[in-house]
Amino acid sequence: MNWKTETDEIARRRQLALEQGGEDAIAKQHGKGRLTIRERIDKLLDPGSFEEVGPAAGAANLDENGELISFDPANFVLGFGKVEGRRIVVAGEDFTMRGGSPSPAGLRKSVYAEELTVQYKLPLVRLHEGSGGSVGGTGGKGASLPGPVNAPARFRSVAEAMATVPVATAALGAVAGLPAGRLVASHFSVMSKATAQILTAGPAVVERAMGEKKTKDELGGWKVHTKNGTVDNGAADEAECLIEIRRFLSFMPANIDQLAPVIDCGDPVERADETLLDIVPRDRRKAFDMRRIIQSVFDQTSFFEMGAGYGRSQITGLARLNGQSVGVWANNCKFLAGSMTADGAHKARRFMELCETFSLPIISLVDEPGFMIGSRAEREATIRHGTSAVLTAAMTTVPWASVMIRRSFGVAQAAHYGPEGYVLAWPSAESGPLPIEGGVAVAFQREIAAAPDPEARRRELEEELVARQSPFPRAEALGVHDLIDPRQTRVELCRWVDRIQPLLPALLGPARFSIRP
Amino acid sequence: MIKIELETGGSVWKVLTKPGVRVEAGDTLFILEVMKMEVPYEAPASGEVVAVHITEGDVVEEDQLAVEIAE
Repeated sequence: MNWKTETDEIARRRQLALEQGGEDAIAKQHGKGRLTIRERIDKLLDPGSFEEVGPAAGAANLDENGELISFDPANFVLGFGKVEGRRIVVAGEDFTMRGGSPSPAGLRKSVYAEELTVQYKLPLVRLHEGSGGSVGGTGGKGASLPGPVNAPARFRSVAEAMATVPVATAALGAVAGLPAGRLVASHFSVMSKATAQILTAGPAVVERAMGEKKTKDELGGWKVHTKNGTVDNGAADEAECLIEIRRFLSFMPANIDQLAPVIDCGDPVERADETLLDIVPRDRRKAFDMRRIIQSVFDQTSFFEMGAGYGRSQITGLARLNGQSVGVWANNCKFLAGSMTADGAHKARRFMELCETFSLPIISLVDEPGFMIGSRAEREATIRHGTSAVLTAAMTTVPWASVMIRRSFGVAQAAHYGPEGYVLAWPSAESGPLPIEGGVAVAFQREIAAAPDPEARRRELEEELVARQSPFPRAEALGVHDLIDPRQTRVELCRWVDRIQPLLPALLGPARFSIRP
Repeated sequence: MIKIELETGGSVWKVLTKPGVRVEAGDTLFILEVMKMEVPYEAPASGEVVAVHITEGDVVEEDQLAVEIAE
């Protein structure tokens, strides 16, 4: 007598679990242009690297003799796998069963994902398509007791995961309720423009409660959520989302106790880009393309922008300098002059927290005219969000290098410099308490009004003050570490990255403050 | 039809096109002044300008329709 009967049954149940919601449900999923969770996982991971956790979890239907009639697998798939040879934890709802609304075993697996990731100290990728609980319950037999008062806090592990390992998420279909909350509990999130919506509550619930009749896309399509910061990025389709997640992970360490991998970049440290000599126009009213400066200074094609559609006056992303992962934060003078808006400040704060959590040095390219002003800015509590960014910068412990590209004004500019940061200035750098144009009109109000030609006097005063803003006196006073030729920016920053290497190991471990959504 | 909407509020500093004009991709259509900076808007593709909804000096809002181009 051996265990053949049981091993056969294990194999049979394994097979049944792979059938997910059945042929019809899978065909329906494909018909809507969407992959199943197992297909998504296979596409994300290195081929053949998936090691499933809990494949036997689910509900078995037995006949009176105890023979298996059918098996409903848990509608949440969880496991380990590798991305570019590095192990991660991967998880996601199975939309082919119950529309991704958790079954009892599915719920257990889903809340286990974060615990597993914290326990093994591996990055977590969640691929979301599903909804939250149903008033019909999880479909378990009989009434279940509510959880005891001393049950562990439900979201503790979600928060702990964010403080321990990189968490990247994708919205690949409709994501509503609890899965939507978990989607944004991440360091990087991306949604598929072709197939995803993100909904706190879906159209039926919204219509019932609010009387508002909207489609899923109108409520929570990419046009809404890539602009309001709910997700960091939008990608054309599911495949592009998975590529973005792989890209994000490539910059990140496995956890807070490790440093990000340094890769051979093949881009010469001394590469000097001639176009940087005239990229900043001498005419101070003319904007320039900060993204072009970023492309030029960092390792070629390494810049990975996060949050391009949101808080657009600020640019944030990851890149490499001589192979070292760094956080990049820059102002975009083409959008609201690059000023610190409420949403731009929120984006920047979250970004600094990401760098602080994972010990990534921050490179800041500064062209900050100050906090956004005007009635809309006041309504948005810009001063509070902006000051939050300023104090976050002041609390960071990671090394900073800031390059003063053009303007650096007001309280807002302080957010762009870290404690004991290394500061370089381009010849186009100007700084002070207030940009000249606004400042002159206020400070010399009477003098201007009394002049025979007030407009001419104002211009004269502005020119006098602009001349005084030359960066040379600042360099003479050691107010910056150096005044540099813009073409030397790359080599200067690469040398700095080399100098800070001995400082990085001491940064490892839990950060003084960690990132929250 | 290409609809060019404003990314931010501001004031219209210069309008460099008018209905009936043929434009090439990259041509500057108009320039906003936002926070004392000039913000040029370029044609995303070639075509004929069929409508211009802004005039110089206008105070404009985010998402406002500015120019329509027929490809």
